[in-house]
Amino acid sequence: MFAYIVRRLVLMLVTLFGISVIIFVLLRIVPGNIVDILFAAAGYVDPADKAHLEHDLGLDQSIVMQYLHWIGGLARGDLGYSYVSEKPALDEILPRIPITARLAGLALMFSASIGIPLGVISAVHQGTRLDYALRVVSLSGLSLPSFWLGLLILMASVSLFGTMPIFNPHPKTWSEAIAIYCVPAMAVGFRSAALTMRITRSSMLEILRQDYIRTARAKGASEASINYRHALKNAILPVITVIGIEAAFLIGGLIVTETVFNIPGIARYLVEALRWRDYPIVQNLVMLIAVVVVFTNFTVDMLYAAIDPRIRYTD
Amino acid sequence: MAVVNYDSELRRAGAQATHGWRRLVFLAQRHLLGTIGLCIMLLFVCTAIFANLICRFDPLSIDSAHRLAAPGMLHWMGTDSFGRDVWSRIVHGARISLAVGIGSTALGSSIGVMIGLASGYLSGWVDLVFQRVTDILQALPLLVLALVMTAALGPSLPNVMLAIAIPLIPTVARVIRANTLALRELPFIEAAKSIGMSETRIALRHVLPNTIAPLIVLATAQLGSTILTEASLSFLGLGIPEPYPSWGRMLSESAVEYVRTAPWLVIFPGIAISLAVFGTNLFGDALRDILDPRQRG
Amino acid sequence: MLREGIMRSVRTLVAAMLSLLAALGPALAAEKQGGILRLYHRDSPGSASIHEGATYSMNVPFMPVFNNLVIYNQTIAQNSMDDIVPDLADSWAWSSDNKTLTFKLHQGVIWHDGKPFTSADVKCTFDMLMGKSPQKFRQNPRKSWYDQVNEVTTNGDFEASFHLKRPQPALLALLASGYTPVYPCHVSPADMRTHPIGTGPFKFVEFKANESIKLVRNENYFKKGLPHLDGIEFTITPNRSTAILGFVSGQFDMTFPTEVSIPLLKDVKSQAPNAVCVVEPNNVSTNIIINSSSPPFDNLDIRRALALSLDRKAFISIMFEGQGDIGGTMEPAPQGLWAMPKEMLEAIPGYGPDVNANRDEARKLMQKAGYGPDKHLAVKVSTRNIPVYRDPAVILIDQIKSIYIDAELDVVDTAQWFPKVARKDYALGLNLTGNAVDDPDQSFYENYSCGSERNYTNYCNKDIEKLFDQQSIETDVAKRKKLVWEIDQKLQDDVARPIIFHARTGTCWQPYVKGVTVMVNSSYNGYRYEDVWLDK
Repeated sequence: MFAYIVRRLVLMLVTLFGISVIIFVLLRIVPGNIVDILFAAAGYVDPADKAHLEHDLGLDQSIVMQYLHWIGGLARGDLGYSYVSEKPALDEILPRIPITARLAGLALMFSASIGIPLGVISAVHQGTRLDYALRVVSLSGLSLPSFWLGLLILMASVSLFGTMPIFNPHPKTWSEAIAIYCVPAMAVGFRSAALTMRITRSSMLEILRQDYIRTARAKGASEASINYRHALKNAILPVITVIGIEAAFLIGGLIVTETVFNIPGIARYLVEALRWRDYPIVQNLVMLIAVVVVFTNFTVDMLYAAIDPRIRYTD
Repeated sequence: MAVVNYDSELRRAGAQATHGWRRLVFLAQRHLLGTIGLCIMLLFVCTAIFANLICRFDPLSIDSAHRLAAPGMLHWMGTDSFGRDVWSRIVHGARISLAVGIGSTALGSSIGVMIGLASGYLSGWVDLVFQRVTDILQALPLLVLALVMTAALGPSLPNVMLAIAIPLIPTVARVIRANTLALRELPFIEAAKSIGMSETRIALRHVLPNTIAPLIVLATAQLGSTILTEASLSFLGLGIPEPYPSWGRMLSESAVEYVRTAPWLVIFPGIAISLAVFGTNLFGDALRDILDPRQRG
Repeated sequence: MLREGIMRSVRTLVAAMLSLLAALGPALAAEKQGGILRLYHRDSPGSASIHEGATYSMNVPFMPVFNNLVIYNQTIAQNSMDDIVPDLADSWAWSSDNKTLTFKLHQGVIWHDGKPFTSADVKCTFDMLMGKSPQKFRQNPRKSWYDQVNEVTTNGDFEASFHLKRPQPALLALLASGYTPVYPCHVSPADMRTHPIGTGPFKFVEFKANESIKLVRNENYFKKGLPHLDGIEFTITPNRSTAILGFVSGQFDMTFPTEVSIPLLKDVKSQAPNAVCVVEPNNVSTNIIINSSSPPFDNLDIRRALALSLDRKAFISIMFEGQGDIGGTMEPAPQGLWAMPKEMLEAIPGYGPDVNANRDEARKLMQKAGYGPDKHLAVKVSTRNIPVYRDPAVILIDQIKSIYIDAELDVVDTAQWFPKVARKDYALGLNLTGNAVDDPDQSFYENYSCGSERNYTNYCNKDIEKLFDQQSIETDVAKRKKLVWEIDQKLQDDVARPIIFHARTGTCWQPYVKGVTVMVNSSYNGYRYEDVWLDK
């Protein structure tokens, strides 16, 4: 077990290193950098001023040097400075994390509390009309572009209540706080609830076909007891892995939803930073996202291994 | 996992006939949702192929005299703010969306297959390297990677396809690798080896064909998400550029200005995207049931 | 006779009193103090330093932080030389040779950080703009505005003079623009980008990129009783649907100025019938930049054909539902002060009302150049990936089909647009030109003079250049106008940078917002907001 954990940790580091290289190179093959954008905002280009500015920002160094500079800084906890705001990247990124984390947490809760029960119901009633209806609903959920869902929610909110949940860092009332987080979280969570439901349903079905369920049934256990005491308990295992898959899925949804709801979290910040070619922000944000995804997967695997003795500790 | 033999699967499922037309009818009845999905997909494919025959207007031709016309006899789905026929744009948009969907899925899958096959079959350091590459690609959410890619490459049809294809690689590679590893242990591969077939030949003639089923299942499932990713990229301003009539852009841009004053500009592309994705999802589910009984759900 | 005389004087007196009352009327309806004005901002500006930018995304939120030497009267919608009023300068005077402009500065003004404002700050600011000081701006897009200024001198702490190489009456107009705030000497350009210090009615509180910009009332503002507001808050909301929904639902008191498109305006009016909306031109022209240094557009016939093919009315009907203006380089009348008379404009090739006749002529020119129904000319139309650029480009491509040109749209990322234009890596480009002040000096020198940084096409015509100087020196406005018309006509004849249309845009605010004036001939000068108040 210990060797397995160490091995996984090392692989995790290798993965993160690879990501850092890829993202770094990818950003620098992009034609046009922050200096071009700054000059576009100033409406002219002056080669001398441009060269001067590139030198100031260290963009005239070789890619390898720039990379070493970044990684060296990261190791010391120094994320560099945002090219645009000229503030430390850490100061820009840190305050945005709790916002996105809250949103993601709520969305996950929403998706689990809707998706898991519906998935179980759908599996237990496999082949019935209820099952069909639930499957169609969940598939439609996955077929809706997420920005469209967000916009629909906003428009509905304005026409029904005459107001909409616009983000405010210091909500005055509880109801406002709930509205500004829960509504967007529902918009993201709706799609991941559909995903959760599908995965719960199939893992539940697989369990229901297992021998020990047949045994339980043969022994005369009640259907309810079979479904909820025996099957669900074991079906939860694969559902845990869903959380790992969803971490990545959720971030995609958050990018769009934070833009629609104008929430200043890290996902929208990534889009803006990309637009400005604000490399220090983009590369650190992508690394942050990668760390979250890799670490979630790692934790899920560990959890899985701890719960399920059948897992062999080899890759 | 075993080689899929769906004839026996069919028999087990109670099919009376395992050949020809009646088999299809049996499958259609048994997988009603999947059949609906297939019909929707075929509808879109036909629309895309016969786009020029179906439309009465050039999707790019501007007519300032008939701008924002409501749906009617002449313009079935109305016209947009440029006076372009929305029906023609939706129909031609099917080409773009399917090109993006099928193109990027095919590209992503074929690279994934190559990596997966090489990884599973050759093992050793090749496997190790490819495994790490897929790890890396998998650690980045699809939209994040696609965003960075399109920002890097610039928005154009081939670039968007590439940007959406690359994030698809790791999933395909994983599945193909797992399949290949399982297949390698099977007797008929051993047999092929013992009669002196070359490794490459075994890989291509025996291993690859047997991974086709899971591949199709996976590819269909991803088709829908590629169309949605293009729509999201369009919304973020990085999708297929003008003048191509892309559903994603039609929806995201008209949603801003015309949702109330000319709702047909928003409703029809919205329906087109959702329906196309819904169809591929339904069909993908049914395919998984048929071709991959182990994962049946 | 006498009675008549008395009656006349009484009538005059009554009229005078009435007009005085009318003028005082709004002032008497006592402005209420307090309240925070909430707006959305269309995007996140790159920095807070107005001098380093060329987008009104910076002027709108940061103009309230500063003062100029002089400023266009913020309550009059049309910027003109006659409505320039004192700001940091109490008075100004030209020397008899019209080559020295001297400002007497207001005393007792202090910067937001407590340091006193003196003539040294004025000198510092303009030395830096002219590139003469050791401290440099990161970018200096309006350096050419001061080409005629030899030096700025001070006389004591409260007098500053601009010494010119030759008379340039329009210098005063440039100094009155929102683009020309006075910066403090003691704050570095880098600090001005992140935490600007000014003397203006509002103090900078914070600028969170992509999130918000906050300003708070300057208690020590040197104009007594101003400003009325406690503060201004901008929520950065790039998504237009969300922004408009926010305004409609009352989360914002005002939209971002001149950013509501005509279709969106309809939407706002239907959902928020009480909102006050104005639609005005903003002196931004949409034009075609032509690469005349390489084939095929080095051929004047093809350039003329292109100019003749334009159906400007169709552009305006598609882009603005009819609410746009046709004109030359200068903004069309009545909002624009320097526009050619209509007859003169319609005589220019391509401006005539009969589009079909124009296109017939264009096709003849194309045939003369060797193209025709069987031999089309294939070109690319390059433009930025922003709807206000892209949409007219799409229309242009459709229109020039009629003269045997098959154009393909080439959408260019913002980061690559200026480098591409500078490299001359384009045939046709669709471009937007915003004019900071409605004055020919600004638009001619900036966009058409040889060697100007913003003359993207590198158009250079020595004869016209002489006319530029001639009109610039001219102090008689009527004579200057004639010269300007002549220049504008020549520029269009030369197809230097064909102007397609002048845009109009909307601004909306809630009915309780008072004292907002939307400028009609510039979108860079009207955001001091010291007169704005909330009737709540």
